[in-house]
Amino acid sequence: MVEEHNPENVNTHNITDMERGAFDIIIEMCQAMELDITPEITGSNPPYLEINLTGHDAAEAFGRFGKRLDAVQYLANLLILKRVGAEVRVVLDCAGYRLRRIQVLENLAREYAAQVKERQEECELDPLPAHERRIIHNTLSDDPHVTTYSEGVDPDRKVIIAPRS
Amino acid sequence: MKLFIEHLVQAVVDKPEQVRVEEEPGENATVYKIHVAADDLGKAIGKQGRIANAMRVIAKASAMKENRKVYLEVIGAKEDVSIT
Repeated sequence: MVEEHNPENVNTHNITDMERGAFDIIIEMCQAMELDITPEITGSNPPYLEINLTGHDAAEAFGRFGKRLDAVQYLANLLILKRVGAEVRVVLDCAGYRLRRIQVLENLAREYAAQVKERQEECELDPLPAHERRIIHNTLSDDPHVTTYSEGVDPDRKVIIAPRS
Repeated sequence: MKLFIEHLVQAVVDKPEQVRVEEEPGENATVYKIHVAADDLGKAIGKQGRIANAMRVIAKASAMKENRKVYLEVIGAKEDVSIT
């Protein structure tokens, strides 16, 4: 970790003590990885603190790997729960991964919904983590032709899209 | 990475004072051996190995530049050893 990357920039001044504590845990995790990765706070939407990973190695290490981003996020929130409390949780992003993923999932949901409507048959998606399943449910919640639910146990829990009867 | 794993495991177990992490750098792979109290084995691994797997993923990301393999083992102490 390069010293001058230590982020005293952006909006680290007007955050709560708890958010500061959560952010410190993320800084600690980035340093532990011994790569050039700098976290930056991009938004606060209590209880969620949105953090973007930047720096020379960030995109290569995390930009294409949702699994890695989710792993850091999961362990970070575990540490935050223990050390800071339940009032703050972090959402990590890197190189626009989450936004790209939302678009991919929304398109996927609409494509499958169209097929379900045409065939009047249920359809099962690949296993997705909870926050990604939510995107599918939300995308199709207003669709008059299909309904969605989930089946199975994490990490193999899948969304099912079914015709609305 | 070793210290980080130690901190992380200490945060999730009941007996943090018994957590010890060994780093064994091999020719093309690094092995992290995480020793915990016998009762804490499940806590350190997590439900369906979630915690151990997440640590594995991060350790791998961290070793990305050196192109090394990373192995992570969680080891519970023998019952009689843990009573000290």
